[in-house]
Amino acid sequence: MGTFSTLVRMAGRNLVQGGRRVVLLGMAMVLVSMLLVLLDSLAAGLEASMVNSATTLASGHVNVGGFFKVTSGTASPVVADGPKIRAIVEREVPELDYQIDRVRGWARLVSERASFWGGLLGIDVEEERGLRSVLQISEGSFDALKQPDTILLFEQQAKRLEAKVGDTLTISAPTMGGVNNTVDVRVGAIAKDVGFMSAINLFMPKATIRQLYQMKPEATGAVQLYLKNEADASGVMERLRPKLEAEGFRLMDLDPRPFWMKFDTVTGQDWVGQKLDLTTWREEVSFLLWILTGFAALRWLLLGVILLLVVVGIMNTMYMSIRERTREIGTMRAIGMSRGRVLGLFLLEALALGIGASALGAGLGVVIALSVNAAEIKIASDAFMAILMNDQVYLKLTVDNVVFAVALITGISVFAALRPARRAARMRPVGALHQVG
Amino acid sequence: MPSKTETPSSPTGASGSAASGAQSALVELVGAKKDYPLGRTVVSALRGVDLVVRRGEFVALAGPSGSGKTTLLNLVGCVDVATAGTVRVDGHDTGRLSEKALTQLRLEALGFIFQSFNLIAVLDVFQNIEFPLLLQGKLGKGERAERVRSIVEKVGLTQQMKQRPAELSGGQRQRVAIARALVTRPRLVLADEPTANLDSETGERIIDLMRELNHTEGTTFLFSTHDPKIMTHADRVVHIADGRVLDAAAGHA
Ligand SMILES: Nc1ncnc2c1ncn2[C@@H]1O[C@H](COP(=O)(O)OP(=O)(O)OP(=O)(O)O)[C@@H](O)[C@H]1O
Ligand SMILES: [Mg+2]
Repeated sequence: MGTFSTLVRMAGRNLVQGGRRVVLLGMAMVLVSMLLVLLDSLAAGLEASMVNSATTLASGHVNVGGFFKVTSGTASPVVADGPKIRAIVEREVPELDYQIDRVRGWARLVSERASFWGGLLGIDVEEERGLRSVLQISEGSFDALKQPDTILLFEQQAKRLEAKVGDTLTISAPTMGGVNNTVDVRVGAIAKDVGFMSAINLFMPKATIRQLYQMKPEATGAVQLYLKNEADASGVMERLRPKLEAEGFRLMDLDPRPFWMKFDTVTGQDWVGQKLDLTTWREEVSFLLWILTGFAALRWLLLGVILLLVVVGIMNTMYMSIRERTREIGTMRAIGMSRGRVLGLFLLEALALGIGASALGAGLGVVIALSVNAAEIKIASDAFMAILMNDQVYLKLTVDNVVFAVALITGISVFAALRPARRAARMRPVGALHQVG
Repeated sequence: MPSKTETPSSPTGASGSAASGAQSALVELVGAKKDYPLGRTVVSALRGVDLVVRRGEFVALAGPSGSGKTTLLNLVGCVDVATAGTVRVDGHDTGRLSEKALTQLRLEALGFIFQSFNLIAVLDVFQNIEFPLLLQGKLGKGERAERVRSIVEKVGLTQQMKQRPAELSGGQRQRVAIARALVTRPRLVLADEPTANLDSETGERIIDLMRELNHTEGTTFLFSTHDPKIMTHADRVVHIADGRVLDAAAGHA
């Protein structure tokens, strides 16, 4: 007890005595911990935005979608019997929070000024809990979509079409039969952009899309499952596959691409009728996952540099300090300090430096991240907005990331101190007695 | 070569017979040799030393530079082991002890005073003196403070308890070192030229203090010195030259 507190005190004071060398090393470690926290929170923010966008705009945590082929050379994103699948999900997925189904389509949206192709998503306003909580309606109301032949636009879409609430637009789509069908819709709501995907997604009542494609009322595009815990997604999907097969459904092989990239593949396949396609949100946004991968790579690179810097810095500082303190170490050994305690003393110094510097750095990182979030910095570039899937810089701080940064830097500094500390512990007490000069 | 060879004052009161002398021997070297490898050759720092130090003695070790004084103190101080021969300290044959046991023996039975004081710079006077007690881990906080305070009083540093070594004079630092060496009540205190870095007046006062503690605490002292004036304070002077003890009798007139 007493020994330990004295060792701690000695370690602390030795660090203070270390002067500029220790200060420089400490500052480097502060900087590095801060960067680590910021990078991790940026990556977490990015992932959160992506999950958020993906799971509200284009995907559930788990999706049961699929294609229906009337002839082998065509493909429609249709699940013929939605209610049956929903019943199976209800029965087989206790992790389920709630489920919805959306009718899918791909059509041109036309105003008097402009037009563009977009992904049609037929929804039932009553059951779209997640969408309702995420969308920030800037004009009109979400509930306007309870009315038939209405549409919700995102701000960037409205701007492109120069449309406002109440305006009438035309949707024009090729049907299964190859003819172009059209339907007029009234703008019921305009919502703030939700990242990149709000450029192409068009929400409207299910009935409008069914009418456009002349689909049966039980036909839908995909059943989307929202789980209590997003992390269960892969497990639930794997479990659901054999259950659906047991119910007589044919399944497509797992293809880690969003559904709209699969048309060509499916069209080229030699089968007709219904096949289901199970995915998680990751597959549906896989075309964007390179961003996460890129961030992960950057992070590993940074971690490598940090590792090297801290290891070299600590070892160098320790060896110098040990050389300078040869006599002191010899004296303590002569007086009767054991090797283990000498080792402990030097490890404690590294530990104190590691904890102190990394906690300070992580603290700075947290402060910076909070101020960046509070400043609501708008992203000027569309490209960056698309990449970050958000219209402003968002750094998501988690306790895990902060703890990780502190633990990593501290751990590395103690690890780096092992060899020097062992050398100090092996020094012979004789050195203290053999006087110099 | 004349030497001052008084009969030692033994705490057991025994005097004369070789048997009782051996019984009260705290340190016993028999044919102790120490070689240092130096490049391809070896330096023989000690060439077969026989020496007995009895409990309660105040013994000076004298000899020219390079004669082997420090080497001998290293062997007795258990910070090094003999190349040949035996070194017995407080009943232990140091050649047979492990590194751990030697450390333990130093901690429990020995005290060290160094020529250049060797205090721990980052600790204040009180903490420096308390340090060996902490390493021993036998006493509680209160008892330790009591021990430190009483020894600090004896070396006359009550006013300086909270000062760091850098804020003390050489004589004061050596007093701290003496207090640190004695605070554990060791059976033997070893001092390698404890006065060499002090002016002669301060040096004499330091030796007086050691002598006084030798009397009051009954601690055995073995110290090396170049200074003839310092030697006059000793019970007995062991002369050493070229790795050998000159006074073969090693104590008896
Ligand atoms: N670590 C060592 N390696 C090699 N030779 C050594 C070593 N230590 C001591 N010696 C040699 O052993 C001999 C005795 O040295 P020692 O230090 O014991 O003498 P000393 O009597 O203490 O001298 P001084 O009065 O100068 O302190 C010397 O020749 C010295 O050079
Ligand atoms: Mg010497």
